[in-house]
Amino acid sequence: MKKLTLITTLAAGSLALAACGGSSDDGSSTDEIMIGSVHPLTGALAGVGALMNDGAKLAVDDINADGGIEALDGAQLTLGEGDSKGAADTGQSEAQRLIGDGAVALVGTYQSDVTTNVAAVAERSKVPLVIDVAVDDSILEQGYQYSFRIQPNATSMGTDGANDLIEMSEAAGKPVESVSYIHIEGAFGQSVFDAFKAEAEAQGVQVLKEVTYAGTNFTDATTQVREAASVNPDVIVATGYYPDSLLVAQAVNALQPDIDALYGVANGGFDDSAFPGDAGAAGQNVLSANYHYGATNDEVADIRQRFQEEFGKPMETASVLAYQSVRVIAQALEESGSTDPEELRNAIADIEVDDPLLAFDGPITFDETGQNENATVIVMQIQGDAVEQVFPEDFATSDVVYPTNQ
Amino acid sequence: MSDTVTGSQTRTEGRLRVPALPLGVTLAVVVALVGVYVFGQREAGLVTQSIATGLLLGGVYALVSVGLTLIFGVLGIVNFAQGAMLTLALYLVYTMTSSWGLPVYVATLIAIPVMYLFGVLVQTTLLNKLTLAGSHEGPMLITLGLSLLIANVLLMIYGGRPLKVGGSVDGSIHLFGAIASYERVIAFVGALLVALLLTVILRKTSFGMSIRAVSANAQGASLVGVDVSRIYGMTFGIGSACVAVAGGLMAPFLSLTPSVGEQFTILAFVIVVLGGLGSVGGAMVGGLVIGLVQTVGALYLPGTGSLILVFAVFVCVLFFRPQGIFGAKP
Repeated sequence: MKKLTLITTLAAGSLALAACGGSSDDGSSTDEIMIGSVHPLTGALAGVGALMNDGAKLAVDDINADGGIEALDGAQLTLGEGDSKGAADTGQSEAQRLIGDGAVALVGTYQSDVTTNVAAVAERSKVPLVIDVAVDDSILEQGYQYSFRIQPNATSMGTDGANDLIEMSEAAGKPVESVSYIHIEGAFGQSVFDAFKAEAEAQGVQVLKEVTYAGTNFTDATTQVREAASVNPDVIVATGYYPDSLLVAQAVNALQPDIDALYGVANGGFDDSAFPGDAGAAGQNVLSANYHYGATNDEVADIRQRFQEEFGKPMETASVLAYQSVRVIAQALEESGSTDPEELRNAIADIEVDDPLLAFDGPITFDETGQNENATVIVMQIQGDAVEQVFPEDFATSDVVYPTNQ
Repeated sequence: MSDTVTGSQTRTEGRLRVPALPLGVTLAVVVALVGVYVFGQREAGLVTQSIATGLLLGGVYALVSVGLTLIFGVLGIVNFAQGAMLTLALYLVYTMTSSWGLPVYVATLIAIPVMYLFGVLVQTTLLNKLTLAGSHEGPMLITLGLSLLIANVLLMIYGGRPLKVGGSVDGSIHLFGAIASYERVIAFVGALLVALLLTVILRKTSFGMSIRAVSANAQGASLVGVDVSRIYGMTFGIGSACVAVAGGLMAPFLSLTPSVGEQFTILAFVIVVLGGLGSVGGAMVGGLVIGLVQTVGALYLPGTGSLILVFAVFVCVLFFRPQGIFGAKP
C-alpha cells in the first residue's frame, strides 16, 4: 500500500512539473522562434542521429550569429530537440511534444517509418515538416500539404543508381551487362532494388539474382555474397546500412569473385568517412551511388570544418542535410516574414534554394507532393583513405577507377 | 556430459539420460545436412559455405550462451544483461586496442579478469541479497536495468557511431571449397576451448564441486561449510568472463555500437533453452544447431525467414522436449 501511495505521489508530482514546464513557454514572443528536431538520439542509430541533431544545431547557431531572421526583427532561432529512440511511436509523441512547446516547423527524422508518423502529426497540427533523410516513396504519396523532402526518394535513387552505373561503365569502356543485387530486407532495400531493376532491365542490363538478408542478427555475409557471385555477374550491387555493408565488402574481398565492381546504391556505409579505415583492403575502390554533400563547394567545406572543430567528429552527409533543412526553414521565415505555420508552409512550397549544400543538379524546389525536384545521386569511390566523388564529371573530385580490380 | 548444473534436478538422473541424446541430435543434424546436399537443389559449394559459416557462427553464439546458462543454472537468475555485458567487453577491447595499441587477442586476455571482477561486483553488491532471499523477479529487473545503464553509459562515452576494432589477423582459409576468415576460425576454436575448460573446472576441481553443490542445494552446501554468497559472486564472475572471451573473439568482425550485444541476448536465450537450462554442453550444441539453422536456412528462406526458422525450431523443442536437449526430465 505504501508503495502505491509513493507511486501515485510521484506520478502526480511529475504531472504537475510537466504542466509547469508547458505553461512557462506559453508567453514566448517572436524574438525566439523554435524549430523542432526529431532524430534517433539513443538506440542503435544514435550515432547518426546525434550527428544530424548537431548539424541542425550548427545551422541554428550560424543563422543566429548572422543576425537571426531579419524579416522578423532579428528574431533568434532555438532548436527543440526530440529523441525518437528509433521508434515510430516515440518519434510521433516527440513531434507532438515539440509542437506543443511551440515549434513552428520540424526537421527529421532519418528513418522512413518514424518519418511516416511524424509527417502525419505535422499534417494534423498544420506545422511544416522538412524531411532531411527518409527514403521511402510512400511518405509523400499521402497527399500531405505540410511535408517536404530534400533528399531523393527510393525510386529516384534506384533509377539514378542504375543509370549512373550504366553510363559510367560505358564511359570506362567496359559496359555492364549483368548484375547481382544484395539488399537488406524491408521497405528501404526493397524499394531501391525494385527501381534499380526496372531501370536496369529497361536499358538491357540483366539482374541475375536478388539476395536479401535480415537487418537483425546479421553477422556474416559470406553465404550471401557467394550466392550473388554464383551466377557470374559483371557487378555486385548492394543496398544496406553501415554494419551490414561492411560485412558485404569484407566477404567480397575474401571470396574475390570475378566482378568488375562492388557498387552501392543508397548504401549507408560505402560513402561514410569511417568506412575506408574500417574496411581496409576490403573497401578499396568500392563504388557508391548516393546523395552526397557538395565536396566541390567551398561553403560546405567551411561548414564541415567548423562542425569538426565544434563536435570533434566528421560531418557526414545526413548531418549536412539536417543543416540544409534548418536553412530551408530559415529562408522561408525570411521570405514570409511570419511565424504563422500556414504562411510558413506556403513559403517553403514556393522556395528556391539556389546554392544547395548537396551535390544536386539544380536549386532545391519542391513539387506539389513536396519532393525536391532536383535531388540526385552522384557516384563516389573509396580511393586510399578518402571517399572521392567520381561521377558525373561536374561533381568529380577524382577520376573513377573502373573496373575496380585493375 | 555430466556438467549439467541445474539445481532442481538430481545429478544422477541427468547423467543417466544424456549420452543417447547428443548422438541422436548430431545424427539428425547430419542427416538433415546430407538431405540438403542431395535434395536441396542448391550448388554444393554454396551449401558447404553455409555449413562452414553456420558452424563458425554457432561457436560464437555458444560462447555467449555458456555464460548465460551457467548463471541461470547456479543462481537461478535470468540475466537480461548478458548482451549488454558482451557490448561492454567489446568496448573494453576496443579501448585497449585503439588507445594502447594492444593486439586484439592480448586485449581479450586483459578483458577476461576485468569482466570477471565486474561480474563479481555486480553479484555481490546488487544481486546477492535478492538471490539469497530466493527472489526471481528482483534480479531479473536489476539485470534489465543494468543492460539499459551499460548501453547508455557507452553511448555517452563513445557516441553511437559504429566503431571498428582493427589490427587482427588478416586473410582466410579454404576448407572443402568453403572460405572462412582466420578471425572466425580463431573465434570458433576459442569457443571450444572455453567450453572444454569450463567443463573440466566444473567436473574436476574442488571449486567446481562447490559450484555444483550450491547449484544442487544451496542450503545444504552452506551447512557443510561452503560460502554460498562467495560462490554466487564467482559464478556470476565466470559468466561475465565468458562474454569477455566472446567479445574479444568477435571484436574483429563486428561493428561496435552501444546496442550491438542486444541482438545476441534473444538468440542466447533460445540456445540455452534448446540446450537445456544450466547445461554447458547443451549451450555448445544448441549454439551450433542454431548457427546452422540460421545460415543453411538462409539458402531457402532469405532475410528474416532464417530467423523465423530458428524460432520455429525453438517452439518445436519447447513443445516436444521442454527441458531442452540436455536437460533432465522434470
